[in-house]
Amino acid sequence: MLFHTWPFLIFFVVVMAGHLALRRTRFWLHWLLVASYFFYGWWNPLYLGLILYSTLLDYLVVAAMDRSRRKLLWLLVSVVNNLLLLGFFKYAGFVTENVDALLAMAGVAWRLPAPDVLLPVGISFYTFQSMSYTIDFYRGQIPRERSFVRFATFVSLFPQLVAGPIERAKELLPQLHRFPKITLRDTTDGASLFLVGLFKKVALADYLASYVDPIYATPDRYGASALLLATFAFAWQIYFDFSGYTDMARGVARAMGFKLMVNFNNPYLATSLGNFWARWHISLSSWFRDYVYIPLGGNRRGPWRTYLNLFLTMVISGLWHGANWTFVIWGALHAVATMATRKAERSHWYHHRVPVFVKRLLVFVVVCFAWIFFRAASLGDAWLILTRICMAPFGFEKGRFIGWSDPAFPLLLLGMVGAVWAYQFVYESRFARLLDTSVVRVVLAVLIILYLFTIPSSRNEAFIYFQF
Amino acid sequence: MSHEQADNHSAVVSSSERQVGETEPPYGATAMRLSLRQWAAVVLLAVPVMVLAPVLWQRGEPLPATPDYRIPYAYSEDYWLYSRVVARSAADKQIAVIGDSVVWGEYVTPQDTLTAHLNRQAAAQQLPNAKFANLGLNGAHPLALTGLVRHYATSLTGVPVIVHCNLLWMSSPERDLSASKEQSFNHPRLVPQLLPHIPSYSASISDRMGNVVDRNVPYLGWARHLRFEYWDGQNLPDWTLEHPYANPFALGDEPRLDDSQELRRPPVAWFDQGLVPQDLPWMDLDTSLQWSAFRDTVERLQSRGNRVFVVVGPLNEHMLMPGSRQRYQALRRQVEQWLSNRRIPFTSPPPLPSDEYADASHPLSAGYARLASELLADAAFQRWLQGGELPRSLATLEAERVGTSEK
Repeated sequence: MLFHTWPFLIFFVVVMAGHLALRRTRFWLHWLLVASYFFYGWWNPLYLGLILYSTLLDYLVVAAMDRSRRKLLWLLVSVVNNLLLLGFFKYAGFVTENVDALLAMAGVAWRLPAPDVLLPVGISFYTFQSMSYTIDFYRGQIPRERSFVRFATFVSLFPQLVAGPIERAKELLPQLHRFPKITLRDTTDGASLFLVGLFKKVALADYLASYVDPIYATPDRYGASALLLATFAFAWQIYFDFSGYTDMARGVARAMGFKLMVNFNNPYLATSLGNFWARWHISLSSWFRDYVYIPLGGNRRGPWRTYLNLFLTMVISGLWHGANWTFVIWGALHAVATMATRKAERSHWYHHRVPVFVKRLLVFVVVCFAWIFFRAASLGDAWLILTRICMAPFGFEKGRFIGWSDPAFPLLLLGMVGAVWAYQFVYESRFARLLDTSVVRVVLAVLIILYLFTIPSSRNEAFIYFQF
Repeated sequence: MSHEQADNHSAVVSSSERQVGETEPPYGATAMRLSLRQWAAVVLLAVPVMVLAPVLWQRGEPLPATPDYRIPYAYSEDYWLYSRVVARSAADKQIAVIGDSVVWGEYVTPQDTLTAHLNRQAAAQQLPNAKFANLGLNGAHPLALTGLVRHYATSLTGVPVIVHCNLLWMSSPERDLSASKEQSFNHPRLVPQLLPHIPSYSASISDRMGNVVDRNVPYLGWARHLRFEYWDGQNLPDWTLEHPYANPFALGDEPRLDDSQELRRPPVAWFDQGLVPQDLPWMDLDTSLQWSAFRDTVERLQSRGNRVFVVVGPLNEHMLMPGSRQRYQALRRQVEQWLSNRRIPFTSPPPLPSDEYADASHPLSAGYARLASELLADAAFQRWLQGGELPRSLATLEAERVGTSEK
């Protein structure tokens, strides 16, 4: 059930009505849990067994940890269980494929049987959310949650269940302890967030996907200019898609009285790679910071160890996104680029001499470069795209002048992306107050509504991050 | 934690992350945070625009005043335009002729359709108040026709309506849409979205609900009209992918709504097209979805106060193999029986000469002329035209048929 579909609208109206009707009873939480499980089961009722298993195990592990002296052992049970769950459903095919390739290289005829498992939607998100609870409890940062219903609702709260934000127990669980106070401001804020998210998804992300998908599906058929623009378009597509989803998730939660964390903060205005990760998928990057980077030693053990920790964290983050070497390379590229520019970014010269515009452009170029690996179907495709783009300035391919082909990038699309980028520039400039006026807000909202009603998407695309 | 927090590397989150204990987390990364008053202003601005846009557009885009006007083929799925054409015909007190491409005129120009011939012959006979409007829609099978009448032909209330019954839609489970295999078909937005269940219709629940909403919000119909007007029936984003540098709001040189010269297919007899007789299985009327939808359309029109006259066929029986022809004739008798039982005036003309058909159901110009002449000579039709409702009995029909064959 996607946020931008009619069934969700009906679902939300029914859930909201029940939510409000049960506000004075103790069953409001049960209602929320049932609604969340219904939402999740809409994709495939079999998935419910999985989330129930993961939730129950972490709930029992923490209960056991609470009574046991061997807390670390119980923590390992939780972490290993979650990683095994993720590993089986997400990485079994990847591992089998690579083992088979190694066996073939070694001349062994035997092959591992190919696992035929379907990746459950949102498994990467809710296992991480559930795991953070057990780790935080182990660290003594949060108390044990004694109510299973409350804990299960925390893991499965439907607005953020399938694609985040990955909420921490210390932030979300307290909000589930009593019925939230829903103010008028929550309702209007929720509607505002939902509207912006809907526009990002339907008007921008799906439109960009129409350009990107065919080019990345058969990159060998396209010239450098189309590949370059498709990469540029993908950078915006994934941003609009994922941040649009987050906006809608936050809007839905907000309307119900729950406050979810900000997950994107104009990432393409980042002035350094570190700053980019502070603005992109914030809930995941902070998760990796707290549960991978810092436990590995962070920056406390000298520069080389810091680089190693950084590299490992980014590569694991890449692998989290998908079981393919392209994602590993994407993570590694970010790690290498971050390490390479870290010193320069901290220098006085970079901070004060390099114009902000140049910094932003540089970061955007590096991020786009990495997106090629993220989006390409295989390393071979990524390499093909890269070589074509790199040879483009000279118009040569395989020593032959091929010139620039027409990329056929719609001007309307370019204008729409440009308008959003310009909006974000103004938002982070000293002229930000211009956007804060009632006239601008109202006119923008009216334009968005009219656009959505007049020019709906012909595609009913699922969100990109659902596949992770 | 302190030295980690100071570390400005990739895994560190900036101030945009919520601080623990903070009561109000940051709202987001845009200024689009509307208060109640601002939302009220948005509604006050957007709603009038959405209500007025279709109304004002109609004034700026008059329908062509060509006689025998029919909706251009390219606008076949523009139901908002269809409703405008229907409204105009009702305002002009024309007799509405509804049906699929047999009424629309698949192989003829607008001047050679059934309604055009009816108009010319009625004028020649100086029949009063006998002006016919071509409200046929290409591909409008009975399941689609029922949605068309229900949602886009409401202004026909009280108007005399001739409904064409093309039994070809009941010739096989695939055409009947009752085959369990999913298939694409014409006008999915018009068919019943939930009940009755159509086995061949595979749209998602979201699409079905979207179609239901679409029918009930005129603004959405108008927005769809823009697609046909400017973007070749496509969605704007898809159109710009094909025309990346073109102005999406530039109209071409041709008059868009005018179809006066439109000839969709070459007017060639079926046997010259290489078509051969077919062995169509034919449906059982009791289980036919298309027949059920046809009945629903007729009953809906009657319940709206329309005087209804039904024209059954005539199908190209020359294109049916003997066994199939027998099954068809039995089916046709059942249809006639139902119409007779329900006291609905109808005619069921004999097949036209073979060379006056272009395929299994579409007549050529000569066929339409003959059909119009037979219709105007039909006693039941004459009574109906004059406002009488006396239906013919089956016995009368059989007697007429015997008479026709003896001639």
